[in-house]
Amino acid sequence: MKRTHPSPTRRSLLKAAALAAGLGIGVVGVAQAQDKAPIQFATLMDFTRVYTFLTSEYSQGQQDYIKLVNMEGGVDGRPIKLIIKDHASYPERGIAQYNEARSDGAVFFDFLSTPVANALMPRANEDHLPMIAFAHGRADAADGQKFPYVFPAAAIYRSQAALLLQFIDEHEGGLKGKKIAFVHIDSPFGKEPIELLNKVSALKGFELKLFPYPVPGTEQAATWTEVRRYRPDKVIIWGAGPGQAVSIRGAVGNGIAPKDIHSVIWLSESDMQSFTGDTVVGLKRFTAVNTGTSPAILKRIVDKVITPGQGSGDKAKVGTTYYNIGVASMAIAVEAARLATKKLGAPLTGEKLKQGFEMLKDFTAEGLMPPLTITDKDHQGGGWGRVSEWDGKQWAPKSDWSHAFQDVVWQLIREDEAKAKK
Amino acid sequence: MSYFIELLINGALTGLMYSMVALGIVLIYKSSGVLNFAQGAMVMIGGYAVWLLAETGLPITLAIMLALLVMFAFGLLAERVLLRTMVGQPIIMIVMLTLGLDIFLRALGPGLLGTEPKHLDIGIGMAPLILGDVLTNRTYAVGGVIALVLIALALLFFRTRLGTKLRAVSDDHVSSWSVGISVERAVAISWGLAGLCAVAAGTMWGAVQGVDWSLTALLFPAVAVVILGGVDSILGALVAGLAVGILGSVIPGYVDSLVGGSTRDVVTSVVILLTILIRPYGMFGREDIERI
Repeated sequence: MKRTHPSPTRRSLLKAAALAAGLGIGVVGVAQAQDKAPIQFATLMDFTRVYTFLTSEYSQGQQDYIKLVNMEGGVDGRPIKLIIKDHASYPERGIAQYNEARSDGAVFFDFLSTPVANALMPRANEDHLPMIAFAHGRADAADGQKFPYVFPAAAIYRSQAALLLQFIDEHEGGLKGKKIAFVHIDSPFGKEPIELLNKVSALKGFELKLFPYPVPGTEQAATWTEVRRYRPDKVIIWGAGPGQAVSIRGAVGNGIAPKDIHSVIWLSESDMQSFTGDTVVGLKRFTAVNTGTSPAILKRIVDKVITPGQGSGDKAKVGTTYYNIGVASMAIAVEAARLATKKLGAPLTGEKLKQGFEMLKDFTAEGLMPPLTITDKDHQGGGWGRVSEWDGKQWAPKSDWSHAFQDVVWQLIREDEAKAKK
Repeated sequence: MSYFIELLINGALTGLMYSMVALGIVLIYKSSGVLNFAQGAMVMIGGYAVWLLAETGLPITLAIMLALLVMFAFGLLAERVLLRTMVGQPIIMIVMLTLGLDIFLRALGPGLLGTEPKHLDIGIGMAPLILGDVLTNRTYAVGGVIALVLIALALLFFRTRLGTKLRAVSDDHVSSWSVGISVERAVAISWGLAGLCAVAAGTMWGAVQGVDWSLTALLFPAVAVVILGGVDSILGALVAGLAVGILGSVIPGYVDSLVGGSTRDVVTSVVILLTILIRPYGMFGREDIERI
């Protein structure tokens, strides 16, 4: 029996065409879906233990900014998904969360904790996954040759101390012959600027005396008795969280004028709520990003995220120091992702994102921060900042964006690296 | 010389502030034989309670009074819900339970109220008290006076009928039961009284530094105080508080600038180690002799 193939009818041809078209659309759809899959950023932070003074406001700024970015189309049409977890500053927990987020496809990390960041810096380098340590962490993280995947992306602690000294030198009667008291928490963070202070002391001819106080800094009475007896011309306080308020009380209670007190970056509007009226007006602080909601980027967050009720936290915190630092940290990462995708193409990988960071040139996040230029050598971005003064209600800028003693900062980084090699 | 005197006075006042925390530990130990490792967290909760009530617009004095009631009730509740279920269990397990309570409270307070330090204004200015060439912190001075008052009240309380019952309970639970004393009630009252101490300490320390998790760190110096003074001695909490505070002020005052680091925690640790090695029951603690 001769088997004959039925000739295709018009109807069957149409069916086949429809099926093929359907399959084709499906394949394209899958490809498009993969192409537009979210870019994952992991913000693994300490919400519950040591860095509690900072994390909630910082994370709120990051989340609100990412909402804005996603509302405005994401990066190359891809939304950004934040993986947010609490490691409570326990390195072992941070490492476990890092591994999980890495398995889930995260290409960028922010740990906001010196112990966890230090534990994971070598891993980030091995895995070729960029991490940010905005204005904190180890000084040698600024060296892009040593840590290619770690980005302080703002003034490291030594650059902050350098800028405070320069401000005293240029705006407060000079450093020469002055007595500077450095009152610091007795931890690696508190000790970080000491070598720089010693070097600049020798350069500029001022006397430096160190006054450590124990962790967590809640009891400093004996320290401030000693400081007062030293009769310093200027005091630099170097702590964080509740210890900062105790330091300020100790200083003022021992007759030191607020105008002569200068602080590390970690002193926010929330910390200053402890002081009513004009009791500490004139106190100064290193500032890495502008505060308030005037910068264009903040205005858009307010208009598109906060006002429609899409904000991630307390409205009153929008525009505070730590909130804006959170926005800045995420704006830097998003801009790096944009540049990487534009110049190197999708999909975004850790290697591409690293190069994106190193393409940042004069990036200000729409006026939020000083011009940031990162190179393959300098991951600090120049060590820029300014000095702000507490006016009783807010931090008012007292100087233009600037940087100081960067030759000394880098000399110390090289010396540290040479010591580490021995 | 005035430097030494200032370190001495400020150290003594700080030590009295530690005594407020230590007193809570002593009161619980005296009635139940349990070292309460949750006292630091109770201090934090006491501080939060005052802040929360003050935030509602209440005058600070009224807020403190209400917080005292709240924390006394908290103490009673802790006995009823936690301690009573542990009757007959090894004492080490009850101590572990207090550690669990400490962790729970440390998570609960900041978790519910936010992690940023809360400002607690109790109306004491930042201007120091000036005594000749010696400056002292007004808040510490007020705290020292409050600590002395609390210790005096505790000493008087243990001379009352109820206090005598608590002393009996601290001697022997079974014998106390056999003569009709409610051991559970006595233990509950001691936890309630520890709650009052927590409010006092949380308010004064909170006024110095703000209210946040770091108040729980007061447990460390408070444990040093109870070990040195004797874990069952109210007078010991006073004397050892002064000793720990003064040593932790005077020695760092002369040594820190020489060694380039803070030695206060080292001093406190040495106090704990030496006391345990030389006089394990502390300066004023009762040395129990057991027949074996």
